[in-house]
Amino acid sequence: MAENLRSGDAQGTSTETTGSIHDERQTSEQSADLPGSTDDSLNSYQKRHRSTPPWVWIVAVIAAVAIAAGGVFAYRHANSSSSVAETSQSISIGLKLAPTNLDIRNEAGAALDQVLIGNVYEGLVARNSENAVVPALAKSWTISKDAKTYTFTLHAGERFSNGDALDSKDVVWSLNSLIDNDYVNAQALANVESVSADGTTTVVLKLKAPDAALLWNLTGRAGLVLDEEAHYDAKTQAIGSGPYLVDSFKQNESLTLKANPRYWGSHQAKTHTVVLRYITDDNAAINALKSNNVQVLAPITANLSSSVSNDGDVVVKAGNDTDKFVLAFNSTGPKTADKRVRQAIRYAIDNKALISSRGGADELLGGPIPSLDPGYEDLTKLYPFNQNKAKELLSEAGYSTSKPLKLDFEYANIYGTEIGDQLRSQLKAVGIDLNVKVVEFSAWLNDVYTNKNYDLSLVDHNESHDFNAWANPEYYFNYDNKQVQELYAKAVSSTSDAAYESYLKQAARLVSEDAPADWLFNYRVTTAYRKSVTGFPLNLNQSLLPLWNVQNKA
Amino acid sequence: MTSVRYAFTVMRVVLRSMWRRAEGRFSLLVLGLWLLVSLVSMFWTPWSLWWTDGYHVWQKPSMLHILGTDGSGADMVSWLMAGSRTNLLICVLTIVVTAIFGLLLLAAMLVRATMLAQMSVVVIDALISLPTVLLALILAVPFGPSVAVIVAACGFGYGLNLARIARPQALLVARSGYVEAAMSNGARASRVFLGHVVPNIRPVLVVQLSMSAGTVILAESGLTYLGIGVQSGVPSWGHSLATSVSFINVYPLTVLWSGLIITCVVLALNLFGDALRDCADPLSNAELRSIRQDGGAGQSSGEQQSSSEQQSSSAVLGQGVTRGSGQ
Repeated sequence: MAENLRSGDAQGTSTETTGSIHDERQTSEQSADLPGSTDDSLNSYQKRHRSTPPWVWIVAVIAAVAIAAGGVFAYRHANSSSSVAETSQSISIGLKLAPTNLDIRNEAGAALDQVLIGNVYEGLVARNSENAVVPALAKSWTISKDAKTYTFTLHAGERFSNGDALDSKDVVWSLNSLIDNDYVNAQALANVESVSADGTTTVVLKLKAPDAALLWNLTGRAGLVLDEEAHYDAKTQAIGSGPYLVDSFKQNESLTLKANPRYWGSHQAKTHTVVLRYITDDNAAINALKSNNVQVLAPITANLSSSVSNDGDVVVKAGNDTDKFVLAFNSTGPKTADKRVRQAIRYAIDNKALISSRGGADELLGGPIPSLDPGYEDLTKLYPFNQNKAKELLSEAGYSTSKPLKLDFEYANIYGTEIGDQLRSQLKAVGIDLNVKVVEFSAWLNDVYTNKNYDLSLVDHNESHDFNAWANPEYYFNYDNKQVQELYAKAVSSTSDAAYESYLKQAARLVSEDAPADWLFNYRVTTAYRKSVTGFPLNLNQSLLPLWNVQNKA
Repeated sequence: MTSVRYAFTVMRVVLRSMWRRAEGRFSLLVLGLWLLVSLVSMFWTPWSLWWTDGYHVWQKPSMLHILGTDGSGADMVSWLMAGSRTNLLICVLTIVVTAIFGLLLLAAMLVRATMLAQMSVVVIDALISLPTVLLALILAVPFGPSVAVIVAACGFGYGLNLARIARPQALLVARSGYVEAAMSNGARASRVFLGHVVPNIRPVLVVQLSMSAGTVILAESGLTYLGIGVQSGVPSWGHSLATSVSFINVYPLTVLWSGLIITCVVLALNLFGDALRDCADPLSNAELRSIRQDGGAGQSSGEQQSSSEQQSSSAVLGQGVTRGSGQ
């Protein structure tokens, strides 16, 4: 009996270890150790243990995991389906360029204008989707005959999102503090002599000289009205009078906007919560749209849009914009100072091929002013694609196959390598050897923008109303044409819009004829959105993104 | 003259025995094709590298463009062919730099001056923790992206690895009886290093260098993707991969070609090292042994015996000693 107990104990310890040992022990016992199995008590002990074999435990664990996983899945599914039902209350929008902080007074960059102006902050006047000036905080305005006095009339009962009233005093303080502290875009008000309030709803701007661009400038940061009494951390918060409030800002990740319950005007937000997500990687952005993590993607690379446009639920559309891809020729460079060389390059470039290779959304642009800006004229016929003419001009300038023209072409890597490869190939065809250097943006800023040490350079100049760059001989283009500068000065000081536009038109034609650059194309922003989304602005949405009208009718 | 003929015979035998092995045959085929394509691309590619067509970007494979076109409308095959030339250059240069730098470090670790030897071990251990990519990034800032940056960064990193891995075997040789004997006979340290140590660690060198060759091809594509590899406009496999990878969702085929080529070549290089080590080792390759006995008559008598005896003091046989003790 003692022996039996001992053997039973041994058996017990072995079964307690692991299933596999237990199994081995059993098989070896059954085959070799027969005397042990003849004993009744031992047999019964073994039977008891055999009645709960280890696979039962394994099955039980698997079942438990399966039930738990199922529960979690069901829970999440229930949650997600409830969020689908709520979609009309919230919408996610995928953007590309993120602002580093929300300080609109000190932080430059279109990424900040894009999300805050018209949504959180409002200006005296605003811009519509055709880039024209429309009323905002000011319901109307008058301009004196000499174009030196602007009188704005505000809506009655305007207020900030913190409840403070917005009146003429806030406007005067906002504009004056911008000029006095030289905040971002203060130069737009360089012609302003004084800003004063006349009663609670009237603001008077007096100018030193007429400034035809002033009204348009006031649609941007220069015209924003901020609350003098409000105290908040401008880097992470924003208090304005617009239809939205900043709910939370996570740097490089997202910006959440909530409808402003105290909004005063007619642009009441139609969607309660708008989440702006910053996705820099193109493929990640497209995956986010496909999986409905975002309902809108602005911009989407035109070449990549076919991967979502085949999906019946997604609409892909291009909107007009003021982005000009400028291939600048250094007008005082050792080789590019020769006008014939610059003209030859313009003739040698096949702009249509460039546009086609980028997906065909962009438009031809023959001069410095895009179609959404005043003074636009179709100048694409000035230098059509003509390789023979390019070769003639080059041989006139003294270059031949034995003495080819060698030029350096430096641009920032954010524009991709394709454009450099194509330009090299196109210029090679007329006998120009292009040495393409694709560099970091900081290196470009140093070499080209600051030191002006370049032959050819490429930048996307996305600003609107930026013709002044061609009238400024100090700018990195090194373009110095007295006639253009005079015409621009006349345009700015003109008292009527018609005169302003006609002077600009003349100046733009002169610039284009001089060929200080080739305007490769006018970039048009491509936006992709779910069919259920309405009211999303397509034009200019990289610098102007009013969201009050956006809805997701899922 | 006989020694030249002897070298040729050995090479032929080694290649033949590599050809008999499946992995050896694969690597010889792929590497041979690589050399051939590089050579051809110097004189001819189906389309000029300067040719682009903006109206026909991302074309599917067709008779005109066998593998289609890329994002600027250039012919994929031509760029991949020309790319093989650049990658071959990078590969060869990196092997040379790695070998020279690694052996110099190894020599430093073996010197009799204990202080210097110990210090170099510590310094190498410290430097080995420096990632190659970081090094390339640092170099690319002042010098700009170029082939030289890749070769310098990778040669440095792989040289450190080579020295560190070869050190134990080299130490065994350096402390062996025949090195003692040579030293006491007045042989110079450099002669001992080149004549005794290097031949005895040849198996490790072969494997390490072939792995370096494979890794530098991966490094080239990685660095080019990051924008610090080859310059824009220089054809390379990494360039072809990098330009097409952002369009992988829409045009997955273009990524496949350069990816497949890189995978095949890297695999071939790694297998090549293994096969070469086995086939060039007289201990594991009986055919080589017989050649050495017949054809090596002009060589020293000690070498003839070396193949059959396990314990001997000759340089070639030391290979057997290190192999035996190392495994």
